[in-house]
Amino acid sequence: YVQELEGAAGLPWIAAGSSASTTPTSHPHPSYKTCTLEAAPASQAILNKSKLPFALVVTPYRVPAEGEPPVPIINPEQIVRCRRCRTYINPWVQFVEQGTRWRCNLCYLTNEVPSFFDWDSETRTSRNRLDRPELTHSCVEFVAPQEYMVRPPQPCVFVFVIDVSFAAVASGMVATAARTILDSLDGMPNEDNRTKVAIVTVDSALHFYNLNSALSDPQMLVVGDLDDPFIPQPEDLLVNLSESRTQIEALLSRMGDMFRNTQQSQSALGGAVQVVFKMLQPIGGKIVVLQSSLPSVGPGALKAREDPKLLGTPKEVTLLNPASMFYKQIAVDCSRAQVSVDVWLFGSGYNDVATLSGLAKHTGGSTYYYPGFSATRPDDAIKFATEFSHFLTKPLGLEAVLRVRASRGIKMTSFHGNFFLRSTDLLALPNVNPDACYVIEMEIEETLQSGVACFQTAVLHTSSNGERRIRVVTLALPVTNQLGDLFAAADVKAVTTVLAKKAVERSLDYKLEDARDALVNKCADIFSAFKAQSGGGGASAGQLLIPSNLKLLPLLTLATLKNIAFRPGPQIPSDLRSSALALMYHYPLEMVIATLHPRLYALHVLPPQAGLPGSDGLLVLPPMMNLGSDRLERHGVYLLDNGREIFLYVSKLADPQLIQALFGVQGYDAVATGKSALPALQNDYSIRVQAIIGKIRQTRLTMFTTYPHFYVVKEDADPALRMLFMSHLIEDRIDSVWSYSQFLGHLREIVAK
Amino acid sequence: MSTFEEIEDRDGVRLSWNVWPNSRIEATRMVVPIGALYTPLKEREDLQPVFYEPVTCKPPCRAVLNPYCQIDVHGRLWICPFCLQRNQFPPHYKDISNVNLPAELLAQFTTIEYTLSRPPSIPPIFLYVVDTCLDEVDLKALKDSLVVSLSLLPQQALIGLVTYGTMVQVHEIGYGDCPKSYVFRGTKDYTAAQVQTMLGLSAPVARPQGMASAQPANMGAARFLLPVEQCEFTLTSILEQLQRDPWPYATDRRPLRCTGAAMSVAIGLLETCFQNTGSRVMLFTGGPCTSGPGQVVGPELKEAIRSHNDLEKDTAKHFKKANKFFEPLAKRAAEKGQIIDVFIGCLDQIGILEMKALPNYTNGVVVMADSFNTAIFKQSFIRVFTKDADGHLDMGFNAMLDVQTTRELRICGLIGPATSANKKNERIGETEIGIGGTSAWRLSSLTPKTTVGVYFEVGPNITVQPGTRGLIQFVTHYQHSSGAFRLRVTTIARNWADGISPEIPASFDQEAAAVLMARIAVFKAEIDDGPDVLRWLDRMLIRLCQKFADYRKDDPSVFRLPDNFILYPQFMFHLRRSQFLQVFNNSPDETAYYRHVIMREDTQNTLIMIQPTLSSYSFEGEPQPVLLDSVSIKPDVILLLDTFFHILIWHGEHLAVWRKQGYQEKPEYENFKRLLEEPKRDSQDLLADRFPIPRYIDCDQGGSQARFLLSKLNPSTTHVTPAAYGQYGGQAQPGQAILTDDVSLQVFMEHLKKLAVSGS
Ligand SMILES: [Zn+2]
Ligand SMILES: [Zn+2]
Repeated sequence: YVQELEGAAGLPWIAAGSSASTTPTSHPHPSYKTCTLEAAPASQAILNKSKLPFALVVTPYRVPAEGEPPVPIINPEQIVRCRRCRTYINPWVQFVEQGTRWRCNLCYLTNEVPSFFDWDSETRTSRNRLDRPELTHSCVEFVAPQEYMVRPPQPCVFVFVIDVSFAAVASGMVATAARTILDSLDGMPNEDNRTKVAIVTVDSALHFYNLNSALSDPQMLVVGDLDDPFIPQPEDLLVNLSESRTQIEALLSRMGDMFRNTQQSQSALGGAVQVVFKMLQPIGGKIVVLQSSLPSVGPGALKAREDPKLLGTPKEVTLLNPASMFYKQIAVDCSRAQVSVDVWLFGSGYNDVATLSGLAKHTGGSTYYYPGFSATRPDDAIKFATEFSHFLTKPLGLEAVLRVRASRGIKMTSFHGNFFLRSTDLLALPNVNPDACYVIEMEIEETLQSGVACFQTAVLHTSSNGERRIRVVTLALPVTNQLGDLFAAADVKAVTTVLAKKAVERSLDYKLEDARDALVNKCADIFSAFKAQSGGGGASAGQLLIPSNLKLLPLLTLATLKNIAFRPGPQIPSDLRSSALALMYHYPLEMVIATLHPRLYALHVLPPQAGLPGSDGLLVLPPMMNLGSDRLERHGVYLLDNGREIFLYVSKLADPQLIQALFGVQGYDAVATGKSALPALQNDYSIRVQAIIGKIRQTRLTMFTTYPHFYVVKEDADPALRMLFMSHLIEDRIDSVWSYSQFLGHLREIVAK
Repeated sequence: MSTFEEIEDRDGVRLSWNVWPNSRIEATRMVVPIGALYTPLKEREDLQPVFYEPVTCKPPCRAVLNPYCQIDVHGRLWICPFCLQRNQFPPHYKDISNVNLPAELLAQFTTIEYTLSRPPSIPPIFLYVVDTCLDEVDLKALKDSLVVSLSLLPQQALIGLVTYGTMVQVHEIGYGDCPKSYVFRGTKDYTAAQVQTMLGLSAPVARPQGMASAQPANMGAARFLLPVEQCEFTLTSILEQLQRDPWPYATDRRPLRCTGAAMSVAIGLLETCFQNTGSRVMLFTGGPCTSGPGQVVGPELKEAIRSHNDLEKDTAKHFKKANKFFEPLAKRAAEKGQIIDVFIGCLDQIGILEMKALPNYTNGVVVMADSFNTAIFKQSFIRVFTKDADGHLDMGFNAMLDVQTTRELRICGLIGPATSANKKNERIGETEIGIGGTSAWRLSSLTPKTTVGVYFEVGPNITVQPGTRGLIQFVTHYQHSSGAFRLRVTTIARNWADGISPEIPASFDQEAAAVLMARIAVFKAEIDDGPDVLRWLDRMLIRLCQKFADYRKDDPSVFRLPDNFILYPQFMFHLRRSQFLQVFNNSPDETAYYRHVIMREDTQNTLIMIQPTLSSYSFEGEPQPVLLDSVSIKPDVILLLDTFFHILIWHGEHLAVWRKQGYQEKPEYENFKRLLEEPKRDSQDLLADRFPIPRYIDCDQGGSQARFLLSKLNPSTTHVTPAAYGQYGGQAQPGQAILTDDVSLQVFMEHLKKLAVSGS
């Protein structure tokens, strides 16, 4: 029944007439916003009894998936909001008094309906107010008028901070990064010709570039004063992309060669970020850090503190927490100044992901990690270039704030995600990243009286084209005071996502073991509560009673425990662990689930439609398989997708014809193992498999800026690679961690007590 | 006996006294000390350097074999006249005889120059330090001059570029991929070690496995200082692209200009990379240092830069601190053989007063122009690169001057653009004059004109027979601009005489004496108050007259000085009222500048500075030198005044009117045209080898510019002179009344006679 992971949740059941319009778009696509509970508990008491988490999972700025309609953009005469609580008008308001007033669905105040809802003064014709997208769509984007701006909208600003130490140059990172930026210049957001760019390269000194369009050549300005790093020149370092295009191109096309003779092993990243922050402080923007070596000199210098003896021990957590507060502090400063930082790490050695990812974490940025990157491997180069290029060209939301409102009686208690909390319900997001997800936990402060509870998130931001926009997502849920209904309303994917993100926090605040224990206990608590609620009736003593909508919870909990972020043991280097934790914390729901529970497809028994477009025009994927080695057939060929990597597993006894069709080689022995790519062969089978792989990659790239690595794993491949593949088969017992059936037994035991 | 000038032409030496008293008491009674004005690189067309090593006396003496040594050709011995030790000739001198002597033993080679076989050092280094807080016109003019200068430098000379404004930029001209510079804060005083680190000259180096260990060619200091032939193109393009300092400043403020930090970085760069090799740091600045170390005035325009008045009252806010910054910096530069030149393109003061140690300690040049877009700057700058007949720059680098004396004569010190090399020995006298306590001095730079004053005293309890000779040997070790090391040796001998012998006054060189005394007075003025120095000068003059004049006690009427003393009081009169000692008509920067120049020039030039020359041109006869006196002012003459710093052509009233009416254009007034052109032609001759280029003034009687002439003239007729008083404002006969309270030369002389004959 793992296939259920694929299905979309049904619409919450809400009494007819609760919404102004009855279109399906009154409900947001769950990827924008979903709740762990598809019905709101009427009181805190019943919520407490259920042990279920009550939280919103929000990805307000997500990129719509293939085939999804775009979010309507509206530019009304006036943005209609509740006079009291400032809620934006939405499909869940009620029109009262013959439609002359509307009642706010959050605070219940009645407000006047503006005349332009029914009358077009320009064309002097009447209008149907229900044609207005804000009354029919739960997810809309308003173009904000002047009063929503404290200053002219921020232009898109990219400052590249590129490590040019020996390690960075030797790995080919510098050349690849420069080439990718160069190739992406046309695609970078710049509709309004206001986009600004600066390039800073860093070794033991900071190098800035004067890119004034009047110069015949870019000029390099080196700041070696790391005690007190400074901006070497007041202008022309951050230049208009369109005006200084020639200089920017000249610099980028030389950059791969400029440092070819470098002997510098040091990196002064901290100083660079300090200065770039000063540069951006007045206008905000995006700092893109590309770092290969560990920052070793000047402010924010770090030590190679990796200590294998600590891995797998309670002290491991010290390695997962920042080594210094430097990066967090500067990140907080950045956030205040609407500056976000994205961190790209390419370690050949220890990178201190735990510390450096802090730059992204507190500024709404992302961390990308490429352990052992070498551009001489085409696979590494293509992956990085593809992801980086997508990153550069995807839409941006700048200088954003996210405010959450909910129906009277509901209170926000805590927030999880990459942001900076400005006040109790206001998240500052210097950069609204389409990949980013926020979790908002809630309580019931006073018993809910209405039959519908509403939640509205509004993200005020500047879009790539320089407009102030407000993306409003409104979610309505029925209210229940029945514990049974509450259990039935639990959304297993949202619950898992919320628990996983909270586990990340617990891992860092306490220790990994505590986080794992808490996950198991939460799962058991929920089932104990369910057992108590259902009075134990109908179930035999030895059976674990699970509501059907939560039947995947044990599996997903086990998957969480086995994810590289939480997996026990001394094998996981702390950089890898930190990176996994950071991603888990940052990822939207789809990615969390895809990472926790990889998708396994049998390619040797491909259904006829798989790999071809279906009736809706979308590619049909083969059915998902359970992740147990007992499911693998001796002659099988399998594809496994964990969100970040794709594995093609080939059994020894696989059909040689199939191997021929797929790899274009004779027999199993001729298949190359390891990081590679499949040849594009002109046969139906190959085309379909390529289409499946292509579809996975395309989805990951557009929605999460990830271009998965592709590995061929032969049954008798080198043990490390084979182990890597096998570690995804979470229903198996792996090392000391339960197999799925053992885990169910364990839960049963706890619940039985 | 040859004239003083002939001796000067041969040896580059002029002495105040050419016969010395054989007792210390008598020597002190002569008032003017025994002193030598020595021009180490005095040009001598007949002097070709010899290509072998000098023969020197045993350590610690190390005096160089010279024509005054006694030699024993049979014993192959020579006796050192300075320490009296016997020395064996080196083996390759075995063939010498009285008819086969090496050059250094021949009488005409009292001055000889050796080219040493030490491997030539790296070629000279030129580091331009360029202010970018200039207006567009000035910056453009400066850039043009700098670009032109690249073609004047020897092709092997190393060149580097530092630019500054709010911050300092060191340009890595060896970087091929794009223009690259290292930026330093203008507000900080970086140590040499910091400069080194920040320029990446000391950073730890990655030792990656499998990498060839060969250092790429663009490492180290070679990144910043490259041979002109290699980088001329790159540097030209960097200079052409040079922009004004980009940091904004409000209209009520001065630009932030960090001259101090820039100099500190420039000196630090050379100090780290090139120790003790000839190098010139050439500063081009267009205003005062307003930021960071060496600040001389605040950035707010309402704060005025200090005046002499502020300095006197000790209210100059930044003066002491700035001084304290530049002085040690200058010492560091001098110790490493660096030369610091200052080229100023600014109407106002830029703080040369505070910075003066830089050029003064290192014998750099100072050129003060109102802007970089003036002939004074452009031509003076080009003149720095004057070349000799062989095409080598007319400059020596990193010199060490050693002075050796026979034991009766002791060394008191040196006054000139040098620093002490702290060489102690028993020839150092008790009295200290100028930079004393040493017998050797460093001069970062030498030009054919560079002249030092070296002062001596007679040692205590000497027993030397009249008629015997005392010797002085000047040994100058320096780096020739070709890169070769050279040693110039000048040995002079003078007779000792009985203290009361008439030979002594007869040997008095009043011109040399005036210059030597002027140097002492200026040196004192740099430390003491002006009035004290004037009183000292007066006292010395009166005592000299008392000692050497013919007079009867208390009867000034028969007072008479010997012929070779007669001009001396006049020199002192003009010196007293010169800009070197009177500061209040000049800015502190001008005073510092004038004093800088007087300390380095040769005797003739210094005399012009003390007592300018005045020539008169008229229709009657040849132009002739006339008295520097208001009587020389006549309506139908043209006067040509040369003060060394200014060259002024003054047209008498009548001629001025004719000129205005354009008579010179008419064929029938051809002779008027000729008359007008004559002084112009002569002034061109004066300009020919003058450095810096003097300010040229063309003016008419009664015009405002004429004040430059009037201020130099002896006010024999002033508005307070009774005879002329009634004609005040009109035309005085025979000269013109000068509005001054200064006493005239005549009055001065009367006073002098009176004081000299009074038996005080
Ligand atoms: Zn409301
Ligand atoms: Zn000797």
